[in-house]
Amino acid sequence: MVHQQQLHFSTSGRGTFNISQQVKEVISESGINTGICQVFIHHTSASLILCENADPDVRTDLETFMKKMVPDGDQMFIHQDEGPDDMPAHVRTVLTSSSLSIPVNNNRDKLGTWQGIYLWEHRTHPHKRNITVTVIGD
Amino acid sequence: MVYQDTLQLAQQGKGAYEIGNLVAGLIKKSGINTGTCQLYIHSSTASLLIGDTTDETTQSETASFMAQLAPSNDNFENKINRNMEAVPEEMRYALAQPSLSIPVKNTRPGIGVWQGIFLWENSAQAADCKLTITVTGE
Repeated sequence: MVHQQQLHFSTSGRGTFNISQQVKEVISESGINTGICQVFIHHTSASLILCENADPDVRTDLETFMKKMVPDGDQMFIHQDEGPDDMPAHVRTVLTSSSLSIPVNNNRDKLGTWQGIYLWEHRTHPHKRNITVTVIGD
Repeated sequence: MVYQDTLQLAQQGKGAYEIGNLVAGLIKKSGINTGTCQLYIHSSTASLLIGDTTDETTQSETASFMAQLAPSNDNFENKINRNMEAVPEEMRYALAQPSLSIPVKNTRPGIGVWQGIFLWENSAQAADCKLTITVTGE
């Protein structure tokens, strides 16, 4: 059995957004008991991560780490058509994930207690982001 | 329904190669309308990534960033007595992804308008490599 659904998000600029609840709802609606849930983001300047969901400082620190590793406006980059955060957003996307696969059991996600699914907006301005969730199983 | 195929890809040297048309052709051949497509590369120096298709400099600049992060002339200790060049290449590979999953929608890759599927070869001395595609769905 296959269930596929689009999700739409409006981000407020650079940062992480917990989308676990929306993904859980798609799994529930799918009626699939056991299988796999694929989450895919249709962009090259925003990505997906699984991350600890208890202490928001973890995501603040990840942001700090990324900023340090891929600095905005780095002279190395020539692709800056849309600003100093343009090319760094593409690199950040490559270093993280465009898709995640998580197990489905008893019509629920099998995420760990402290795991959350996050959309990571890498552009500094707000964007509309599209995600496809596909649940496959029995 | 599951469709699986393994292809031999000819060695093309260091660089990013778009394989979107190849993948679209195989998904069409699978006859699967809705589901997921997993791509897996049987190599220790080539990765698969979703990249931006609007400006080809985004691929070369991602490569420049990776080269800076894991430079070929860095003095890594080589405990397995192999060509020193290969070590940073394998590190870059570890930072990227050996497999990629995308949604399948209407017997086509369900990816974003500006997204392309790239095979990213990190090694100048790469051999031919194999790509396995698995399409699952209905």
